[in-house]
Amino acid sequence: MKKIFLLLMIFGLMHRLVQSQDKPASMGFIPSSYYTFSWNTTFTMGDFNKWVGNASPAGFDLGGRYFIKGGLVAGFNMSWQRVSQIYTNETYSLPATGQAITATNYRFTWMVPFQAVIAYHLMPDKMVSPYIGLGIGGDYMEHHLLVEEYDIYKTRWDFSLTPEIGALIKLGYYSQWGALVAFNYKWTTNQIDLYKDKSSKNLQMLNLKVGITYIIR
Amino acid sequence: MKTKLLTILGMGIIALTSCTKYPPSSGRVTQDLVVYTQYDVTINFSDYKTFSMPNTVVYINGKDTSTLNNANSTVLLNRIAADMKTRGFEQIANTAKPDLGVNVTAIKTTTTTVYSPGWYYGYPGYYPWGYPSYGYPYYPTYVTSYSAGSVIIDLVDLKTVVNNTVMVRWNAFIRGLMTNLHTQADITNSVDQAFTQTPALKTTP
Repeated sequence: MKKIFLLLMIFGLMHRLVQSQDKPASMGFIPSSYYTFSWNTTFTMGDFNKWVGNASPAGFDLGGRYFIKGGLVAGFNMSWQRVSQIYTNETYSLPATGQAITATNYRFTWMVPFQAVIAYHLMPDKMVSPYIGLGIGGDYMEHHLLVEEYDIYKTRWDFSLTPEIGALIKLGYYSQWGALVAFNYKWTTNQIDLYKDKSSKNLQMLNLKVGITYIIR
Repeated sequence: MKTKLLTILGMGIIALTSCTKYPPSSGRVTQDLVVYTQYDVTINFSDYKTFSMPNTVVYINGKDTSTLNNANSTVLLNRIAADMKTRGFEQIANTAKPDLGVNVTAIKTTTTTVYSPGWYYGYPGYYPWGYPSYGYPYYPTYVTSYSAGSVIIDLVDLKTVVNNTVMVRWNAFIRGLMTNLHTQADITNSVDQAFTQTPALKTTP
């Protein structure tokens, strides 16, 4: 279901992209700002991937960007994301108290990232306007290890950096609606240390964002 | 156009709700085996050399106790004895003054939401070692809900008797092991796991 949905989205965007190339380049406008609502799929990396290996489609992102000069924009992003995975026959030990429990473990992390964003749109007046950007901010994260009825968790704040590439795609030359496709790499100072013998530091992830935009002229 | 966008948005929300979920508790308690162990970190198991164990499993059914004697209980007892021997302990008769006593208990129908240490010791016939009370040098924490077929293994210190009380030095709790949902291989594997996750439980012959 997810794959079919993703393929339909990609097909739809490609169709629009092809249509847009047939029109005169002079048509279109430079927006004054735009607002985004995106569906966010997270791919954990490095140590974070050892904690939860599954890619997770559970996430959304809200953003606003304001054109400062030419293609230069500044704005914000706020998100909610969750990654989770079930591991069977995992042993959780507390050596100091001589306790150990082997059971099905459910690991999940949910996070609320918030970032200031600066980006540069290469062709801000075109229907397809690719951009490169950088997000700087922080996250609130909760890391949970559910061992049957026990919920062992820690909460952490962090600092994060997110370089991003993407494209704003207007759904018509004068339409105020558009689509957003973006891909970013995120580095954080967050860490997971729920297991004594394996901790995850500097959590990293890749995010694929597909969403809608409301464009203001 | 807005209709299309709303459709896309709706499909996205459906996708969001399809992420991994923890199975409900009702399914887990009967299907998932849980092996919990705890031991007294203040003692050295090398100080203990011998053990003894009864040839039956104490069987708790509601307020009644009896003994369990079937193929599965035999597999259970044999595996515990084998693992103890693998860890260097020698099995001797109860009358030969063993250092450690092994109690094995299976619970038939009780569903207990909060474990109270020693709650089942009040049942008649549960003192195979002749001492009127048991004690824990640590606070034993068991999985807080369990159902039929759970197994409790207690390793009792028969060398150190204080005020007619023997202390439990190691205990294992295996949830759901003696239900019909699990095989004899599950029994041996779970008992092995209880020992594996307690590397301190060993001695030199």
